[in-house]
Amino acid sequence: MKDQISALMDDELALESSEYVFTAAKADGELSECWATYHLIGDAMRGNPVFKLDFKQRLMQELESEPTVLAPRTKKPFIKTPALWSIAASVAAVLFVSWMVLQQQVETGNDIAPVEIAQNLPSEYLLAHQALAPTNSAYYIQPVGYSESGN
Amino acid sequence: MKRVLLACLLACQLSFAFAGQDAVDDPWLVLQKAARAARELSYKGVFVYQAGPNAKAVQITHMNYGQGEYAHVVVLDGSPREALSQGSDVVIFSPRNEKVIIEKRHGKNLFPALLPANMDVIKLCYQARIGGQERIGGRDGQVVFLNPRDRYRYGYKFWADREYGLLLKSVTINARNEPMEQMAFNQLTLLNTQNMDWFHPDVDPDKDYIMEETAPTDSTLAVDDWTVSQLPAGFRKIDQVTRMVPGKSAPVTHLVFSDGLAAVSLFIEPLSKGMRPKTGHTTMGATNFYAAIVDGHQIMVVGEVPETTVSQIASAVSFKK
Repeated sequence: MKDQISALMDDELALESSEYVFTAAKADGELSECWATYHLIGDAMRGNPVFKLDFKQRLMQELESEPTVLAPRTKKPFIKTPALWSIAASVAAVLFVSWMVLQQQVETGNDIAPVEIAQNLPSEYLLAHQALAPTNSAYYIQPVGYSESGN
Repeated sequence: MKRVLLACLLACQLSFAFAGQDAVDDPWLVLQKAARAARELSYKGVFVYQAGPNAKAVQITHMNYGQGEYAHVVVLDGSPREALSQGSDVVIFSPRNEKVIIEKRHGKNLFPALLPANMDVIKLCYQARIGGQERIGGRDGQVVFLNPRDRYRYGYKFWADREYGLLLKSVTINARNEPMEQMAFNQLTLLNTQNMDWFHPDVDPDKDYIMEETAPTDSTLAVDDWTVSQLPAGFRKIDQVTRMVPGKSAPVTHLVFSDGLAAVSLFIEPLSKGMRPKTGHTTMGATNFYAAIVDGHQIMVVGEVPETTVSQIASAVSFKK
């Protein structure tokens, strides 16, 4: 198996069997260690100094010692991200279309502009609902604002 | 003295009978027992009602010694509202500034009597599943989940007292598994007295008591030029009134639909001059509102159901040309 790993690294293994070796190397602790060791040996032989055994620890240390930049990145305005602009454009388009649809509904209904109930809770209907609908444990526990609005 | 003793004996027997039934495996039996217990037992307790940012402690005294149900409900937090009920007739006393308004209502399905006596209605719309055991307010509770079979209603999680059967806690859950409304006993005791001293409102002699006038229902007002078709599955019409409302020139028709647990109101009224039409959707706690204008009529749907249900009921209304 170790031979096969070596062969895979040297690009001498057939494409069909390389997937199996890869999976095996990932699944087996000993084989993955073997994979890492062979790479380390290879790096050492090529004189590549980065891939030492404690590479991960050193990298983390470097990251730790890196100063954290807290200043806002004013020099990179978000205009540079075109995705954001396209999202904003689609949101605006959707808003415009829904506004148009609402406007049309209004025109067919009445001349006076309708009230959006989201802005003005129809509490008189809520009270009527609570007075007649049987399944309503809230009806005797109305928030003060609603009982007072019935004045 | 004899009667009190008899009552004690009866109460004991009742609780034994309830405890004896090994109904823990069947969730529907647990719920059936909870529905019966809430109406047949005599109990006193304090529960907390919670919906969104609102939480209120409520004291309930409920008595039933074979002569019907009597209950006294007092809101302990905030404005001291209280309600006295006999059978399904409820009288509510709510202080408002210098006055106390007395309202008469039909009340049913109030916690802990949330569940209808007839389970068949809700079996069509919900699936029941037995859960674990949890302690609520010092009592051992059996968890029962009631999951909606479709997206037209909320789900429920109930805790039923393992001894008395009574609901100890109830949580309404939406499709995202978020609690919408919750009621839970902090303390609960069974009563074994027939003393009815508690059955009166806490009258404040310094205030005027005013009976709220409800406009009489007039069947001649009903001009049924509309039809409601294609209601969300399981919802049936349980009430309909048409009445004149102060400040409105045309009568308002109010229909109530229910699936056995959740209730939705539908209001239909012709748009008259000077009336600002309402449109759109909004939510307050578990209650969803949907307003639309159809053929010169204001349609308003209000109910403790998901948004899909209120909008579907609104779109089910059509007018005869």
